[in-house]
Amino acid sequence: MTAIPNQAAAPRAAADAVSVRATRRGTELSMIGFAVGIMALAYAAVGLGLNGHVPSGIVIYVPGFAVLLLVAHMGVRTFAPHADPLMLPLAGVLNGLGIVMIYRLQESGVSGNPGFPISTLTSHAALYQLLYTGIGVAAFVVVLGLIREARVLQRYTYTLGAIGLVLLAIPAVLPDSMNGAYLGAKVWIILGGFSVQPGEFARIALAVFFAGYLVVKRDVLSLAGRRVLGIDLPRARDMGPVLVLWAASLLILVFESDIGTSALFFALFVSMLYIATQRTSWLLIGIGLFGVGAEIASLLFTHVAVRFTLWLHPFAPASLNISDQLARGLEGMAFGGILGTGLGQGQPFWTPLVQSDFIVTAFGEEIGLTGLMAMLLIFGLLVQRGLRAAMSVRDPFAKLLAGGLSFVLALQIFIIVGGVTQLIPVTGITTPFLSQGGSSLVSSWIVVALLMRVSDTARRPPPQPIQDEGMTQVVRAV
Amino acid sequence: MNKALRRLSLAVLVLFVVMLINVNYLQVFRASSLAAEPANPRILSEQSSYQRGEIIAAGGPGAQQVIAESRPAKGGGFQRYYPAPYVYAPVTGYDTVDGTYSGIELAENSLLSGTAPSLAVHNLIGLLTGKSKQGASVYLTISPKAQAAAYQALQAMGRPAAAVAIDPSTGAILALASYPTFNPNLYATPSSAQLAKIDSKYRNDPSQPLLNRAISATFPPGSTFKIVTGSAAYSIGHVSTPNSPIPAPQFYRLPGSTHVLTNDGNAPCGNGNPPIAFAFAESCNTAFGKLGATIGSPAIHKYANLFGFNNPNLTIPLPVAQSNYPLLTDPAETAMSAIGQFSDTVTPLQEAMMAAVVANGGVLMQPHLIQEIRAPDLSVLSTTVPTVLRRVTSAQVAHNMGVLMEGVTHDPYGTAYLSAGPSVTGINIAGKTGTAQNGVNNTGLDDAVFTCFAPYSNPKIAVGVIVKGGGYGADAAAPIAVKIIQAYLGRH
Repeated sequence: MTAIPNQAAAPRAAADAVSVRATRRGTELSMIGFAVGIMALAYAAVGLGLNGHVPSGIVIYVPGFAVLLLVAHMGVRTFAPHADPLMLPLAGVLNGLGIVMIYRLQESGVSGNPGFPISTLTSHAALYQLLYTGIGVAAFVVVLGLIREARVLQRYTYTLGAIGLVLLAIPAVLPDSMNGAYLGAKVWIILGGFSVQPGEFARIALAVFFAGYLVVKRDVLSLAGRRVLGIDLPRARDMGPVLVLWAASLLILVFESDIGTSALFFALFVSMLYIATQRTSWLLIGIGLFGVGAEIASLLFTHVAVRFTLWLHPFAPASLNISDQLARGLEGMAFGGILGTGLGQGQPFWTPLVQSDFIVTAFGEEIGLTGLMAMLLIFGLLVQRGLRAAMSVRDPFAKLLAGGLSFVLALQIFIIVGGVTQLIPVTGITTPFLSQGGSSLVSSWIVVALLMRVSDTARRPPPQPIQDEGMTQVVRAV
Repeated sequence: MNKALRRLSLAVLVLFVVMLINVNYLQVFRASSLAAEPANPRILSEQSSYQRGEIIAAGGPGAQQVIAESRPAKGGGFQRYYPAPYVYAPVTGYDTVDGTYSGIELAENSLLSGTAPSLAVHNLIGLLTGKSKQGASVYLTISPKAQAAAYQALQAMGRPAAAVAIDPSTGAILALASYPTFNPNLYATPSSAQLAKIDSKYRNDPSQPLLNRAISATFPPGSTFKIVTGSAAYSIGHVSTPNSPIPAPQFYRLPGSTHVLTNDGNAPCGNGNPPIAFAFAESCNTAFGKLGATIGSPAIHKYANLFGFNNPNLTIPLPVAQSNYPLLTDPAETAMSAIGQFSDTVTPLQEAMMAAVVANGGVLMQPHLIQEIRAPDLSVLSTTVPTVLRRVTSAQVAHNMGVLMEGVTHDPYGTAYLSAGPSVTGINIAGKTGTAQNGVNNTGLDDAVFTCFAPYSNPKIAVGVIVKGGGYGADAAAPIAVKIIQAYLGRH
């Protein structure tokens, strides 16, 4: 091989050049075909599993879902033709499976189906989920259309920062009847029959804010102070922003009883700080502060301590009296085993609120370990594509934004999947693309839009030289 | 910034690998233990939707009998049915819609319900061939004849009582009956509310029908404990033959005490120094009390342990309550304990085990209820091989004790001559009666105890019977044992 490096390298370089220029939109379209196909088969399987018939809704759900993904695809073709071709199909297949599972749960125990109806789920939940998918896809296209370059957002650094904080704070100041306190965590804005989880959107606004802020301040923040045990510690005066954010995340915990959002919010900042400065010390300080915060929280608030007890002893009678959600979810996954019971043939209705935080256990039960691992790999691929976009883009703002959003997406998946599989204590956060509810779905689509925007920038071929080589421009003197 | 991104990517990789490992651990390795969580609603609803295995009394000669089966219920699914509920309740236990079990239903639940690992292959084949899932059947060593005779005899007596019969050479339990008992069919109701009502009614019943007196309750053994004392005396060489004389005063003042031990009716015991066989057959308290005080509590304790006393861990596979013989230091207490009084207690199963040891040449076999387990396709999954629990006494000592026990029923002066003697029963039974005083200052009704084996020359069955408040062991307990033996050996 060493004898012919130049001969081998030349065609490879040519191929690289081609691949950079290829938009791969055709690949994306055929992968979307796969995603719709999986969704359609899964949807039919639910009906066959429940009562032996392909549900009549197949003429609404499958074409509806296909049209939405096609709209998203056309949006990408129009506004981000060079974007990563895998992200949209990956997000799409997850969203489709989410709709299918919500349909399956909504049909439990109704009109002669096995099991019993899930009281917390309306009979139109799946249709609403399809509607939310429509809103999500619309938001996806609008974000791609409005934000033609990620760095445009940098202009709104502080505006978005303020918006993010306000969104986070609103539920805390609302009366309990309007913030969903009765659901355990005060993270909602409830007006009439309409409810929004502002925290889902606040996270995106704050990611933009952190990116804008850190791009400007990263040189200062990466200035080393003293070196202790081989680690460059930052100067004490630079600790300010971290401590402020730490305090803010603790406040979320105190006022909104929401450990998951609080942890994600803080992790978002620390991970972006680390990407910006490349200083391990910030990471260690962040983890340390988180540990201290968690310790303080578990001492101060009984609900944190209760979550630990539920985690360590989910089957103890005392735990079951508080909540049997984790226990029933674990039993469900064990019931599914390696191959699963088959869609529509398990008993996920035993797990309380299975359609939101615990939807992963319903998948584990009905499509088994095999299906669940495939879904985790799809999530992993989605995160990987995001991180790859972050690594290949040149603009530091876009890099930070994509890196932070991707990492927090991964962390969100870990916190919720780890929570329902007894790896870590359960903290109520939604599963991206899968959980029932509009806020989570729409915000997930916005995150994917931003990541695809960054990947579009990264993969866009450099502008062609204006003039042909060798030609001399003639400048006419006036 | 790419260096940090690369490291974060690595961290993300770790997070996903950890998640993947964890779901594998959960859904493969922890699956069976999670399935076995009590009140796992999925498993419970699954279980009522397919056929649970049968429990079959398959021991002894004669026809087998199905004693628990699942029948198709009206509203779909299956319901448990017990054809002879009261006779077998102490063995089968119950199976409820709430997933609570007792008896064999509990002990063999994983096999009956089909969740046991040994059934995994059968379940998989059933899944592939589209057959509905079915549990394994449990074949018991219980002899339908002996069990029916035992329950009928106990019921006729009408007092709280229990009887256990064992095959001495294998340890197979042939009968295990308790009275009063409960109707497990009432527990098989598909309604949780109805179940709670039934359960509460039984639990609050002062006659304690849910108590399995055969293995879960203990009673004073009375004079039947003289088998242990006698075995200890032979084993340590204190006596050597059935004719060895032992001191037997008419009145025996307990050492260091003012309490005077007497024989039944204050009668003398022979000439005051009779052969041990005579003292045993007449059940002289003074002779065996003095014998116990002479050989000492440690020797008795050692042989009591060998016979199975003081063991909290015996399972058949139902858990068996501990029979007690505490180590004593006071000679007066030792004397009382040597005749089965003071703090000695036994289960009826332990009574049967005592006779079984003597019948089996001094070797105690592991008592067991399970004969074999069969998969739904009737292939045998496992068979119980009789195992030796331990050697209790030498064959010679066992022979001597056998001679002593034969005297109880064969000699005209033996305590059970009139109730279990060969002229009454037509069978050569060897046994020992016990009449245990109890209550404050022994004012309560005496408990009647009888332990025996038959036929004497070629033992096939060993029986232990205790009747609470039955009076003399020979009058209340021995006839029950005789009925069981006659039913089992097919002689009337």
